[in-house]
Amino acid sequence: MTDVFVDSFVYSLGERKIHVNETAAAGGLISSAQDLESAGFRWHHVCEPTTSAYDLASAVTRRLADSDRLGDVDAIVYATCLPLNGNAGDAAEWEATKDVKHLMDFPASRLQADFGLHKAVVIGLNQQACTAMLGSVRLAQAMLQVEKDWNRVLCVTADRFPEGAKYEQAYNLISDGAAACVVSRQPGAFRLVTAHQITNGGLGQAGDDETVGSYFSYTHRLVRETLERAGLTAADLDWVVTQNTNDKAWQILARLLGVGFEKVFFSSMPDVGHVISADNVVNLAELLATGRVRPGQRIALIMAGFGLNWQCLILEATEAVAAAAARD
Amino acid sequence: MRGTTVITGADGYLGRQLAAALLADGDDDLVLAVRADDSAELAAKKDRLAQRLGPQARSRTRVVAADLSRDDALADIDTRSVTRIVHAAAVTRFNVERDLAQRVNVDGTARLRAFAARCDNLQRLAMLSTLYAAGRRRGDVHEERLDDVGFVNHYEWSKWAAEEEVLGAAGELPVSVLRLPTLVADDDGGQVTQYNAFHNTLKLFYYGLLSLLPGDGATPLSLATASFTASAVTRLLDPAIADGVYHICPDPADTATLDQLVDTAFTVFERDPGFQRRGLMRPLPCDQESFEDLLSAADLLRGGPINQSLSSVSPFAHQLYLPKTFRNDALRAAWPGYTAPDPLALAETTCLRLIESKWGRRTQETP
Repeated sequence: MTDVFVDSFVYSLGERKIHVNETAAAGGLISSAQDLESAGFRWHHVCEPTTSAYDLASAVTRRLADSDRLGDVDAIVYATCLPLNGNAGDAAEWEATKDVKHLMDFPASRLQADFGLHKAVVIGLNQQACTAMLGSVRLAQAMLQVEKDWNRVLCVTADRFPEGAKYEQAYNLISDGAAACVVSRQPGAFRLVTAHQITNGGLGQAGDDETVGSYFSYTHRLVRETLERAGLTAADLDWVVTQNTNDKAWQILARLLGVGFEKVFFSSMPDVGHVISADNVVNLAELLATGRVRPGQRIALIMAGFGLNWQCLILEATEAVAAAAARD
Repeated sequence: MRGTTVITGADGYLGRQLAAALLADGDDDLVLAVRADDSAELAAKKDRLAQRLGPQARSRTRVVAADLSRDDALADIDTRSVTRIVHAAAVTRFNVERDLAQRVNVDGTARLRAFAARCDNLQRLAMLSTLYAAGRRRGDVHEERLDDVGFVNHYEWSKWAAEEEVLGAAGELPVSVLRLPTLVADDDGGQVTQYNAFHNTLKLFYYGLLSLLPGDGATPLSLATASFTASAVTRLLDPAIADGVYHICPDPADTATLDQLVDTAFTVFERDPGFQRRGLMRPLPCDQESFEDLLSAADLLRGGPINQSLSSVSPFAHQLYLPKTFRNDALRAAWPGYTAPDPLALAETTCLRLIESKWGRRTQETP
């Protein structure tokens, strides 16, 4: 099996940084601001009305392009949590014309054209909710295994909530945001050790409390199965980079998994909230910035999302990680 | 000799069962003491009890209002006629507030004891308590007066304190303390009328609202039916049986553990098509610290179903980390050949009925 590497983690957030109290006062939440603050949330980022999810995707891709990390991409996996963000078309045009082509203005195609990635084929991924970024890396790995001529896949995720939406899901304070990384055959900051996904469609319409209720058993199973796939144990993990959710959740899970809580990293939570499927990238970028990731260390990226889906990647830092930390 | 038995809390779950059992198995007149704020409430309770107990009750029962939080609570009862008293009135929620538990469970028992002291012909004062008056102790719990070793909730404490009120009069009055197990069904058929922490915990699991299992899996859990319990109480009211402390529960060897009960429940759940479709996993055992963290997190869940159900479950859940075995040698001696329900069979039939009834109404009450 060919080694695949993951590198160049970048993200972008909605322009307006708003305190949870302000959003609550404006009626933008379901829970009280006090409850969300007690869960560890403080700030979140919301797009200006004129900023689209595609604008966020374009921003992260621009960062890669401007730093010469985009490269010669063979495929773009464009992931969204909300399926409506998988269409960049004008809703007014659709309403006015009832022509469905306005529902098929695919942002991945725009991205390919806007950045001159003419060789790249595009793939949309929009039914994995918050796990879609990890799913796109898994898909990229699988494609690199079978497409012998391919070397490089750009993974992008971008979501913004529609105007008027509550910026809370399953008791999490939401931020609009995008993230990207590059999956490649060429050695990079991390070797992808394994990827794993569980889907339980029976909980596809789960309410917030059912989503929370199933979190521990399924996340525990996800990590256990991922470690088994990799022939590893929990003790082999040096870091666990999680989604941004109630800060008690991972105190509990760390005990259940036998992972020291000091290895669990979700430092961005107070500042950015739950950036939909970009959380792992945001937190991994912050972890890299600390300079604490050493070559040979293994990092689990873990995410749960609607569907219900659970996904996990295990990455192993290479000698290139220090350079990546300095660059990102 | 025909006497008069007073039952406090006679309109409660177990009070009703006891009244029915005593009507069926004895010839005493019954004074059914119920709490009623006014004549209209009393009349409504009389009607309900008459319906539940049937025509045979008319000539042998009298329903009286008795609020044990008041000093004159039982003034309407002729003390000379009373031969037996069963004290079933109590606030039985595990999450009862300390003040309310003191007022009703402890002070109310003290008033009842004072009333009993005025009953010259009294042959038995039986107070219904709970096995969990044992509080935080672990290991074997014997049928004896217990020291205060701390409690996991105010309910337990109040029942222990109420026991002290009664047992403090042991030299002067014919007192018995009957410690009850967790009542999970009306009878062996698994029908549930009264819901408590047992049912609410299973509800959380069945509906996918909880995926952590608090407690030590080896913790024995004494479960029984109201029918079995009423039979035992009826038996122990016989003045020929020695007074004292009794554990009304299955033999230790016939008591299921937490792990066995959860396994039985999920075996039933997993046969249900709706449960299968939702793909819910069995819960993960968790340590006490993790469960405390869960409760802390659940406080933030907007008063949703997890929050509501956990609030009734959590005050008991701490007991699941304190394995204890309730010895019932005195019960066995007093009731040779008794048969307690098989716990796993009872759990299975109860779970089936819970699924059928969708957990029925949401009343939350403990033994």
